[in-house]
Amino acid sequence: MKIAYYPGCLAQESAKELDMATRYVCRTLGIELVEFPNFSCCGSGFIDEANEALNIAINARNLAIAEKAGLDMLTICSTCQGMLNLAKVRMQDPKVRARVDGALKPLGIEYKGTVQVKHLLKVITEDIGLPAVKAKVRRPLHGMKVGAFYGCHLLRPADELQSESGEEPHSFEDLLAAVGATPVDYRGRVMCCGFPILFVKPSTANAIAGRQILDAKAHGADAMATPCPLCHTSLDAYQNKASKAVDSPLDMPVFHLPQVIALAFGATPQEIGLSRHLVRTDGAIAKVSASPTA
Amino acid sequence: MSESTVAVSFDVYRFQPGKDAAPRYQRYTLDLTPHTPVLTGLLRIRDEVDPSLGLRYSCRSAICGSCAMQINSKSRLACETQVGPEMARHGRIVVEPMRNQPVMRDLVVDQTPFWREYSKIEPHLKLDPRRPMPADRPTPMTPVEVERFKETPRCIACAACYSACPAAEADPAFPGPMALAKLYRFAVDPRDTAHQERLLRIQPNGLWLCLRCHLCTEACPKDVRPSERIRDLKEMAIAAQGATELGSKHAYGFKENLKGAGQINEMKLVRATFGLTGMVGQIGQGIRVWRKKPEIMKKPRKIEGMEELDQIYAALDPPPKEGP
Amino acid sequence: MLRHEVVVVGAGLAGQRAALAAVEAGRDVAIVTKLHPLRSHSGAAQGGINAAIGPNDSIDAHTYDTVKGSDYLGDQDAIEFFCREAGPTVIEMEHFGTIFTRAEDGTLAQRPFGGAGFPRTVYAADRTGLALLQGLWERLGSERFTLYEEWELARIVVRDGRVQGIVALNRRTGEIQDVAAKAVVIATGGAGRIYGRTTNAHSCTGDGMAVAYRAGAFLKDMEFVQFHPTALLEGGILVTEGARGEGGILKNATGERFMSRYAPKVLELASRDVVARAITTEILEGRGFTGPYGPYVHLELMHLGKEKIESRLQEICDLCRSFAGLDPVTTPIPISPAQHYMMGGVGTNIQGETNIPGLYAAGEAACVSIHGANRLGGNSLMETLVFGKSAGAAAAAYAAKAAASSIGPADVEAVSATFRGWTSRKDGEDPSALRAELQQTMDRYVNIFRTEADLAEGLKRVRAIKERFSRVHVVDQSKVFNLNLSDAIETEHMIDLAEAIIVGGYARTESRGAHFRTDYPKRDDAKWMKHTLAQYGPTGPTLSYLPVTMTRWEPKERVY
Repeated sequence: MKIAYYPGCLAQESAKELDMATRYVCRTLGIELVEFPNFSCCGSGFIDEANEALNIAINARNLAIAEKAGLDMLTICSTCQGMLNLAKVRMQDPKVRARVDGALKPLGIEYKGTVQVKHLLKVITEDIGLPAVKAKVRRPLHGMKVGAFYGCHLLRPADELQSESGEEPHSFEDLLAAVGATPVDYRGRVMCCGFPILFVKPSTANAIAGRQILDAKAHGADAMATPCPLCHTSLDAYQNKASKAVDSPLDMPVFHLPQVIALAFGATPQEIGLSRHLVRTDGAIAKVSASPTA
Repeated sequence: MSESTVAVSFDVYRFQPGKDAAPRYQRYTLDLTPHTPVLTGLLRIRDEVDPSLGLRYSCRSAICGSCAMQINSKSRLACETQVGPEMARHGRIVVEPMRNQPVMRDLVVDQTPFWREYSKIEPHLKLDPRRPMPADRPTPMTPVEVERFKETPRCIACAACYSACPAAEADPAFPGPMALAKLYRFAVDPRDTAHQERLLRIQPNGLWLCLRCHLCTEACPKDVRPSERIRDLKEMAIAAQGATELGSKHAYGFKENLKGAGQINEMKLVRATFGLTGMVGQIGQGIRVWRKKPEIMKKPRKIEGMEELDQIYAALDPPPKEGP
Repeated sequence: MLRHEVVVVGAGLAGQRAALAAVEAGRDVAIVTKLHPLRSHSGAAQGGINAAIGPNDSIDAHTYDTVKGSDYLGDQDAIEFFCREAGPTVIEMEHFGTIFTRAEDGTLAQRPFGGAGFPRTVYAADRTGLALLQGLWERLGSERFTLYEEWELARIVVRDGRVQGIVALNRRTGEIQDVAAKAVVIATGGAGRIYGRTTNAHSCTGDGMAVAYRAGAFLKDMEFVQFHPTALLEGGILVTEGARGEGGILKNATGERFMSRYAPKVLELASRDVVARAITTEILEGRGFTGPYGPYVHLELMHLGKEKIESRLQEICDLCRSFAGLDPVTTPIPISPAQHYMMGGVGTNIQGETNIPGLYAAGEAACVSIHGANRLGGNSLMETLVFGKSAGAAAAAYAAKAAASSIGPADVEAVSATFRGWTSRKDGEDPSALRAELQQTMDRYVNIFRTEADLAEGLKRVRAIKERFSRVHVVDQSKVFNLNLSDAIETEHMIDLAEAIIVGGYARTESRGAHFRTDYPKRDDAKWMKHTLAQYGPTGPTLSYLPVTMTRWEPKERVY
């Protein structure tokens, strides 16, 4: 399949490892990523707080770019996924549509609302399908217990995003099981990582992140995995702060979603940038049982 | 054709502080039709099996707000949640009291923190004696003005949103979704004469602690969509008073930040949020992250078609306000 | 010991309005309520509140409609007062902050309602009760008063010919507490839970009515019980009359719009008793649908269109989807009548005074009477506010002049001893089982169509239940939130009220408004233009009668 690749800001910069793993997984699954150097940042939810109309227009422009090329969009960030779909929903309101069109039409941008925006999680589990994924697994992750961490904007508001569920999704756990890992069920998996207030009230953001990690840990997770690089930043890069905030050692490796899949497909840590993580991941990888099935 | 019943297993939280050493879960099994509300099941448990179970309930029609509780970890009204889908998804129905409010007995919680936050936002019309309401007729209000309330008048103060909120859980400084949605209701009421004052007060008093995780909007039985009203409040506050708090500085700063290259410049954003001196506090962590991810210091690639973005900003982003 | 000048029992619209009036009069006020004020059943009212404020309407028209709706049992002086006060009352509520639905020109929207010759029902979508309750609570929140939340009324203490205070159970701690008061206002709502099939909340157990009754207050017109025509099949959840006001129609199983045979002029917007009897007749005569949850007819809204339904009838749209599993935009709603409102209650005059000095009542708990034998939709919300204010102001004026009241440990001990008797018993009758039997009895024998034989049988059964209640056994020994004890307290109240209803209904050998005797199917103005008064006695109520006050309207045949 061919799809417009919308990596988002972080995957192009400080979360480069996410981009590396995404490309590895897509190559393996035969997903052709078409790049667009004119995609802009999605606003990350922050622009939406400051100016809703602007936020929608910026994302309507992103959507129109893919529309013009006749392609659906692939996101690899829960927040980008949420923001792009939010724009689609808001653009159904005639008043909003008129206002945004007023800014886009003079630029020759015609938004039609036909493009589908799909997160990699959905593309893998629905368009590719788990049997096809299983067929590519070279190194089943048997023995690794992984707590999925979805990220709020992938799921909610469920009615607007038409997500699988606002509070009870299972596609990520199904995917983890398909690549041989043991998914861990814990309440925090659908909760917030604290990122939106990381620069507003760090102590609270860190406490929230710490709480979710502790929850995963208490339920036996060797590692967490997330489809959102903002969650990853909060849970991995700021894990030291989270640990302090909950006054407890955490030592929880956090993977990006495609890194877990890539590992199961046989990727080396170098190929997927694991050395860039702030919390070492080799401990979790060591949990995978020694004898892989071909 | 009569609907057939299924065996429904309830695992109900039982705890009486001061009397019980610790909470326990008590199992009750009833045969119920799948669309039976959880509340009906709990009342049957009280009537037929165990009259000592403590819970609040009244209208059973999702208007009084009494029966909010956690049902399989979701904060919901028990009268509106059916047993069938819960059994199908989870194989049992775990019933627990709401979160973020101390337990009084079993499913009954002390709602003092919830009501206190509500009182703090001054939930009543603030009138100006210099602008009295017309004595002998209703204040005129057009349907368009009524629209502006969105769904906030539907709030039944059930506290499901407050129970679901991770920010309220983590930080007592956060007013919670209900109080903020209620604040919105007054901030758009044409009869209220204190809009500016309300926005001014809420900015440093927790508005920016909202995580926009939308768990409140998921929980709300009346479609009030508090997280979306909170978003509105944030935009209204910045428009009225400028970016005065870290939260508004960050949102405003992010918006301004894209004007450079169309993609985020992480360093520049940190500076816009914290200011030059405030950044000092971020240095330690910054260096730590930079060592693994040097890109955080780099300027981002400028997108193609940046001129389009510039024009969109010019059209939809009015010039910044000159402070309060 | 706790002491206030005015104690209001009940924190719905009537209670809150009474409290506001008393606070504004400068009195020390307390509200005692078994629910948080915003959880009161006032919030479940849907359709609207009546006021003749439209330019082509008149107070006289509202008055006449109400007199006729009451089947001429309403006291016309009270009704005139009520309709005069309605306009200023709705304006006052709007000024308090209530958010109403508006017409294009910015005025209050008004919709047609049952028994009204003019669209005068002011509304807030189909959640008018909630809107008013929020507006009033927000207004009251700026005033100083004491709130005793989750306290259940157990006794009104009357001594030396006047009110001395109340005794209540603090549900949160289990303490029995006395509160000295010069004036007490009963605003505890109705008692629908006497019936199994009712639109009422579980909390509607008539506590204030029953406790006042036992304290010596007359109950008035108890036999007049309103059955709302349209309630959802399973569980009896209310579907507002506003649905018919917006154009909804009723159809039987043959697809006939049958109301044309019962109320040729106004069809679905006849008074509630007429519509409820029509539906029940259709069902009894075999033209109803049948199903696992009982027989029913259809309420059709589909022709109104999605936009109108989802904006003006948003709540019932949700109710149908959540509780009946159907979408009223595309599907007819199965409905049948259910108990809804008590026209009867603690007897008062226009000032809310009862026959006991210092005791007042307002709202559904009271009977003035403005509704007579049948209440018009939209008049109950207005009643709470008009008479809440009257009663509160009168209670405050009385308290300002009254001598200090006196209440003491003996009063508390009387209640404690009773409860101890229930909880210390080793064995006995289960209060919720007694309640269920009471409900079945009322559903079966004291319903829309009544006969002498049914009423006699009903009374016999209620008295048997009453006898068994003397052996009621409360199992839960806890002090905190003991709902088992509350069940017993409430069941005792409901038994008393049920008895008063049946005795009054048995004695009234005519049909009027909501009281229909198939053995006396005609209205008998010669003998029955009078209110029934019931006075408590240990073996049952003693009845007496009070003539109806007429000012300008002679009773006529009531046709819709």
